[in-house]
Amino acid sequence: MSEFGLNVGNADVRSAGPITFGPEGILFLADNGSAKVFAVDVGDPDPDAGSEPFDLEDVDARVGSFLGCRATDIVISDLAVHPRSHNVYLSVQRGRGDAGQAVLVRVDRLDGSITDVPLTNRPMAEITLADAPDQDDERLDITLPQNGEGEEFTFGERTIRLLRRPIRTSTVTDMAFIDGFLLVAGLSNEEFSSKLRRIPFPFGKEIAGNNLEIFHVSHGKWETAAPIRTFVPYDDGRSILASYTCTPVVHFDLTDVEPGTKTVGRTVAELGAMNQPLDMVAFVQDGEEHLLVANTSHGLIKIACTDIDAQAPLTEPQEPVGVPRETEDLLGITRLANLNGDYVLALQVDGGGRQHLRSLKTAAL
Amino acid sequence: MTNVVWSRCRDEDCIRIEGLPAAADLRVRPRTDDLCGELPAMAGTLVRDGVDACFIPRFPFVEDITYTIAVDGLALATLHRHRPDRPTTTEVLDVHPTAIELPRNMLRFYVTFSAPMSEGYAGDHVRLVDEDGLVISAAFLPSDAELWDRTRRRLTLLLDPARIKRGLVPHRQAGYPLQKGTSFRLVVDGGFRDASGTPLRAGSERWYRVGEDQRRHVDPADWVLCVPPGRTLEPLEVRFDRSLDHGLLGRCLRVLGPDGRRVVGSPEIGSEERSWRLAPRAPWAPGPHQLVVDPVLEDLAGNSVSRLFDRDLTETSEQPRRDQPVKVAFLTQ
Repeated sequence: MSEFGLNVGNADVRSAGPITFGPEGILFLADNGSAKVFAVDVGDPDPDAGSEPFDLEDVDARVGSFLGCRATDIVISDLAVHPRSHNVYLSVQRGRGDAGQAVLVRVDRLDGSITDVPLTNRPMAEITLADAPDQDDERLDITLPQNGEGEEFTFGERTIRLLRRPIRTSTVTDMAFIDGFLLVAGLSNEEFSSKLRRIPFPFGKEIAGNNLEIFHVSHGKWETAAPIRTFVPYDDGRSILASYTCTPVVHFDLTDVEPGTKTVGRTVAELGAMNQPLDMVAFVQDGEEHLLVANTSHGLIKIACTDIDAQAPLTEPQEPVGVPRETEDLLGITRLANLNGDYVLALQVDGGGRQHLRSLKTAAL
Repeated sequence: MTNVVWSRCRDEDCIRIEGLPAAADLRVRPRTDDLCGELPAMAGTLVRDGVDACFIPRFPFVEDITYTIAVDGLALATLHRHRPDRPTTTEVLDVHPTAIELPRNMLRFYVTFSAPMSEGYAGDHVRLVDEDGLVISAAFLPSDAELWDRTRRRLTLLLDPARIKRGLVPHRQAGYPLQKGTSFRLVVDGGFRDASGTPLRAGSERWYRVGEDQRRHVDPADWVLCVPPGRTLEPLEVRFDRSLDHGLLGRCLRVLGPDGRRVVGSPEIGSEERSWRLAPRAPWAPGPHQLVVDPVLEDLAGNSVSRLFDRDLTETSEQPRRDQPVKVAFLTQ
């Protein structure tokens, strides 16, 4: 793993955010508590997997029990499937407030057993997102630190250690690894912007000039920039489909995008009122690439990539292109990941609030 | 009867099982009302301590949970982890904006608490309530991740941008969350939990009126500067043409002195976020100064110095402006 700049160390993750796999089974884990992204060698122990489905009832209660708490005491922030073994990795926040703890959970796809992946003494690398406080930003919350954090300050004859934490933060909403770059979408707690960071991996010093700002046009008339909620690369990473907090689904060609220049994506769908995008995944059906969009109000929405490529920008608000899948068994899906070529793995919440892992056969979607 | 108690072992909390045979198979599980069949055992290690065995969990025991201890497949005991009574001390310090009238296309509120808070309560414990006491439904942007500062004392709340942006389906179907000419209040109820899991000492609310839309760039050329005399410690005052975003005001304005270096002092945001003052630490040097404005500075509706929240492509006046700091020159004498 040294070729990727990973060294044995401790990934001090405070808040479990989005996860995604990169090269050689390296997992990227966003920490919204410390504004960092960690790259971790998860050391997956299992052999290559085939194309079998994997289902697990009550995954939230099972993970909760393993962690010594109720299902309601955990939040499953994201899921990812190991590209070789197809074991399922869950980014889990256990407890809230001072008792909150980030845990990386591995679910064995052969027997459904649950273990945690310790984040200490493990090959890892980290990068701090570049929206750390400006040097001129004097608004820092100052607290007395624990564990030797912070800086030393001298007041008269006394020297004490203080921890200065920024007020301005960014919350990572989604990530994807494409062709040597980790793409990171985020939501600021101050300005309203549509920044998509493009971070070279192995991590070096983040180059701010790599950030992309993608505008989009609604109703053929109003141009806006907004934070990206979720996105998915397709067409071998040449294209991106992004869904915004303000609900349009926007296409842009990554090969056309130049950092530092204004880019306007093409709005190809809208999710409708009182509906938020949650996650997206690309899959192949009958040799054609398709996309699935999980959202808060409807079943999965399926979009053929050929429809996107053929479609002119929307000039009137429209319902989504493609085929909305409103069947009952596809309701309540909050997270999606490719399990293997034959199945997409979904995290699904049932009517009673219980969460399950379900395999969706791509040929039947 | 084997005695099972809360205890300490190797400086960690544990469950002590007195006289447990060495070969016994011990499992600890949180008791749950869910009918999920047999759930995985809690992760942890069993340590021998004399004739006793101590279960040390990998993850700390959780308050207000009952744990079931089973040996060789048979339930042996249950233990409840009590939640200690803690006094309620945390409260809401501020809600921003402090402006009384907000634009109909208002975008963002900030709630500041007196102590670090727990995540996961904003959705149920912060709401907008109209004049009739009814909750304004679906007003806020629903989000898995709440927007906190690093110490979890300041919470950012975004009104649903899809309902504010013109031309979008949600805007056409559901309309603005706020209605022009009405009043409403932002309510934080006492059920919001601080970082220790304790409710607030009291809830809090702030009333607002809803006015016209705000759809112009923030333009420093529209501001009035009250310039202090040189060689004094009197503050520079900048009066805006409208209320601006409180969070961004804290970091988007700075003053450079005649030597081009930053004037260090105490910045202060004025009433209703309509002004900003800088009292210098050292007397003003006579000569030319510059007020430097970061172009990301926004008003209450998300319009910034460089771009509008949503731009009408048919209006040339709404084109994006240079994404560079704007400098406003003034002279102290």
